[in-house]
Amino acid sequence: MAETTPSGDNTLLRETVSAREIGRMERFLGPENYRIVMGLLKTPASIAGFILIGFFILIALAAPVIAPPVNAKDPYKIPRDGFKSEPQPMGSLWKTKQPPLPFWWESIMGTDQWTHILGTSQGQYDVFYGIIWGTRTAFRTGLMVTIATFLIGIIVGSISAYYGGWVDNVIMRVVDVFMTLPFILAALILATILTPRIGKSLYPAIIALITFGWMTYARIIRGDILSIKERDYIMAARVIGVKDSRILFRHIIPNAIFPTLVLASLAVGDVVLSFAALSFLGIGTEVGYADWGQVLSFARNWITSLDTYWYIIVWPGLALVMYVMGFNLVGDALRDVLDPRMRGKT
Amino acid sequence: MSNNNDVLLKVVDLKMHFPIYRGVFQRQVGAVHAVDGVSFDVKRGETLGLVGESGCGKSTTGRTILQLYKPTAGEVFFKGSNLVSLKSEEMRWMRRQMQMIFQDPYASLNPRMTVAEIVGEPLTVHNVATGKEIQEHVMHLLEIVGLNPSFAGRYPHEFSGGQRQRIGVARALALQPSFIICDEPISALDVSIQAQVVNLLEELQEQFNLTYLFIAHDLSMVRHISKRVAVMYLGVIMELANRDDLYLEPMHPYTQALLSAVPIPDPVADVNRKRVILEGDVPSPVNPPSGCRFRTRCPIAEKICAESRPEFREVKAGHFVACHLVS
Amino acid sequence: MLTYIIRRLLMVPLLLFGVTVLIFAMLQFLSPIERSALYVRDIPRNDKAVEGIIKRYKLDRPMHEQYWFWLVGTVDASTGKRAGGILFGDFGYSRTGAEPVATLIRNRFPNTLDLTIWAVAPVILVGIWLGVQAAVHQNSIIDQAARIFSIVGTSFPTFVFGLLMLMFFYVKLGWFPPGRMSDASSIIVRSEEFHTYTTLLTFDALLNGRFDVFLDALRHMAMPILTLSYISWATFLRVTRSSMLETLRMEYITTARAKGLSEHDVIFKHAQPNAMIPVVTLAGFSVILLLGGVVITETVFNYPGIGQAAAIAAAQLDVITVLGFALFNGLILIVSNLVVDVLYAVVDPRVRLS
Ligand SMILES: Nc1ncnc2c1ncn2[C@@H]1O[C@H](COP(=O)(O)OP(=O)(O)O)[C@@H](O)[C@H]1O
Ligand code: SF4
Ligand SMILES: [Mg+2]
Repeated sequence: MAETTPSGDNTLLRETVSAREIGRMERFLGPENYRIVMGLLKTPASIAGFILIGFFILIALAAPVIAPPVNAKDPYKIPRDGFKSEPQPMGSLWKTKQPPLPFWWESIMGTDQWTHILGTSQGQYDVFYGIIWGTRTAFRTGLMVTIATFLIGIIVGSISAYYGGWVDNVIMRVVDVFMTLPFILAALILATILTPRIGKSLYPAIIALITFGWMTYARIIRGDILSIKERDYIMAARVIGVKDSRILFRHIIPNAIFPTLVLASLAVGDVVLSFAALSFLGIGTEVGYADWGQVLSFARNWITSLDTYWYIIVWPGLALVMYVMGFNLVGDALRDVLDPRMRGKT
Repeated sequence: MSNNNDVLLKVVDLKMHFPIYRGVFQRQVGAVHAVDGVSFDVKRGETLGLVGESGCGKSTTGRTILQLYKPTAGEVFFKGSNLVSLKSEEMRWMRRQMQMIFQDPYASLNPRMTVAEIVGEPLTVHNVATGKEIQEHVMHLLEIVGLNPSFAGRYPHEFSGGQRQRIGVARALALQPSFIICDEPISALDVSIQAQVVNLLEELQEQFNLTYLFIAHDLSMVRHISKRVAVMYLGVIMELANRDDLYLEPMHPYTQALLSAVPIPDPVADVNRKRVILEGDVPSPVNPPSGCRFRTRCPIAEKICAESRPEFREVKAGHFVACHLVS
Repeated sequence: MLTYIIRRLLMVPLLLFGVTVLIFAMLQFLSPIERSALYVRDIPRNDKAVEGIIKRYKLDRPMHEQYWFWLVGTVDASTGKRAGGILFGDFGYSRTGAEPVATLIRNRFPNTLDLTIWAVAPVILVGIWLGVQAAVHQNSIIDQAARIFSIVGTSFPTFVFGLLMLMFFYVKLGWFPPGRMSDASSIIVRSEEFHTYTTLLTFDALLNGRFDVFLDALRHMAMPILTLSYISWATFLRVTRSSMLETLRMEYITTARAKGLSEHDVIFKHAQPNAMIPVVTLAGFSVILLLGGVVITETVFNYPGIGQAAAIAAAQLDVITVLGFALFNGLILIVSNLVVDVLYAVVDPRVRLS
């Protein structure tokens, strides 16, 4: 090609560009995603949510320091102080061989006597320990379930949207079938069937929640892909001869995935609710595993004396509610940002 | 129609009907007759203007020529080979020679790709260059279309409409095509920017010996740039002629109506000339009128117009008209 | 509109078929011996007997045959009696309920329905009214309260909420007891004079003119009703509100105002009917929520509905009972989705046209 003077004058160009100087963040995320992120960062409710989530992340990371485990190899086993059934009140001293003291305890309390800060539950399981390490369980299960359901949803939804026609039809009917079973009951059945096979652990519940949790993502990503597919830049890609697979992975998915991704990251909180519900119904980990639902389910046997033993439900309940609320606060703001009716309002 | 060597693109009786499915079993109950039998030639190096009201099937014509839709019927010959019968891989290869510029500069650029990636993608997918070569190529292309090459790392949303349209032009030029379909490239731009982009397209045409099919919804927009102009109505071409013939001596009642609505600079002449006001709405392309498509709004329609479809014939040298009452 | 409904109706058997396949697929995780428990009343100790059952119900056949016999059961050649077959209402025998699953469901479902009606009706009636008020008086206290209520509400696990309710209203204050009814009521209900019309306790009590029984039943249901519906309250309020707000901004409302209609007419004759469209969808969705909710709620409050039975069965790995409930729930869900879709088509002219 020969060198020529271009007809458009570059001075004009520079002026217009400098009029809209944008930050690195916006450049990286693109305008639509940037709007979502900024919308979240500007709402007080979602900021409160982020703070709560951050708080729990800190607790999860610092668990070994806050409540040192008896056996470092098996930290999720809540230490027991004897085998008596009756819960012990908050602040009662550790009677049997106590676990290692956290380094901060002595300097604050002036004693090397480890205490049941939040009391013990049925069977002398330490509630405080259960809550601290239960935070890790909450994140672990939440992340596992979310990542798996997200990936399955993305794959199924993409296939459905991309191929369209009867493939789409069949897949969407399968999604309908999965959604016809009430979520918690379906998960309950599968976990019930799986438990004798793989033993009492986190996994039956995790597998069950994954099996019945991917459909929403598939639906959302499918809808987004279908809408992206009609954009002119997809047509433009076909004009220059981009192959179908590259169109899907380079042009469609990067533009369609973000809302689903954000929704999924907020579902990390919801997983814990379903998980706790299964625990409460007796499906899930073995007794004494550091899992909020598990700790809470002890309360079932003490209903008539809950006025005395309130701490066996209030503290783990509070942890659970605050954790989920952190995600919900962000999620609520996100719905406002994503809702097309709210566009242009923030 | 002339069939000599300087015909680059030849469209023969092209039809594009989009099916409509309804009912319990999603049977096909009808079709949108978006393009319904269109024939024309585009000669090497010329600009053919394609004009018609919004929704008359201009974009569909352009997209069907490029095989972005599989045509319902008809042939498209490009440099002698029939695009309709090409396999998809062969067609992909052919795309290097025929490109498109889109109407909406906001919608036609992938927001997740940088300018360099957008302009460089044709080179990447056709393996015509690699790594550093692509970079150099992209810089050069940006300069050609009047963009500062130092903006190559930016994203489309950092630019104004006119600048984005230039990015689209650079992408279309990347593979050094010989034919470009410009689908209303200036309709979405500010009036002040429109002239700049048209000038750019004209310069590029001269420089690279390009052939354009230039689509617009308004006769005044193509007058300047086109050598010949085709007027489309409801999926059919009504009149095709050299620019001056068409603007000075329009023969088809539809063209006459369109032109009479265009204001002319001389106020005296403007007051004195005859105005043809079109009545009624454009009929639906799902159930187009029988016979002549234009008959429901034609001021001079007669009985025969409903009975048979007027042939698209050459009335004078190079002047084609589809009307029973033009001789 | 008619084609739309027909298409939806054609989907029903397809969905049910899908659900049975899904459940059957889950059953395949069990060994034939475990699956034989489908058809016996006690955990089989006798190997011979188990073998006989496996043979009789063809539990050792290839998958597709097993599925077929699971659906229709088998007919004994000599006696002509059919055994098994969910299509013939034989869902198997519930180990934890000590009666056939079908009987168990028939006995317990009225209790669940009774509870659900009382949980849903106030939400729909009052919740929608509140939502409209919140939209008309924007940013009022109702408006803010609805938002906070909804975020906090959806963060509460049902059982924690339920346990806290028990702690306050039962253990501390003694206002509302758990269970179904008091012993006194129970005697009345079982007596000769008490006629069963609907099998729903509260309605039967009213029809018999026994207000004492009615009030007693409501007192027992107060906590489950609240627990089951607190999330629905919050979401109904918010959806009605935002939908109403959107409608109020539309052009035809401005036109109606310009015509000089009273504000009351504008809101209740023009805006509200249109604002109800998303609310109908939500109503369908809340059925799903409720069906999930009853399992936990009934368990917490020891309320003898199908949810509690399912929970007990699940905890004791009584798969057969749980499966029966799953199928039954699937059926309810499909039917209610169908009703919602049709309602939707009725309120939304756009659906009707397409
Ligand atoms: N992919 C499609 N499916 C169905 N109908 C279409 C499609 N694309 C265009 N149409 C219809 O075909 C007609 C012509 O559209 P188009 O070619 O975009 O017109 P123009 O570019 O002249 O404005 C319109 O009625 C339009 O609704
Ligand atoms: S054929 Fe008839 S209806 Fe069509 S343009 Fe000519 S005169 Fe008018
Ligand atoms: Mg167009």
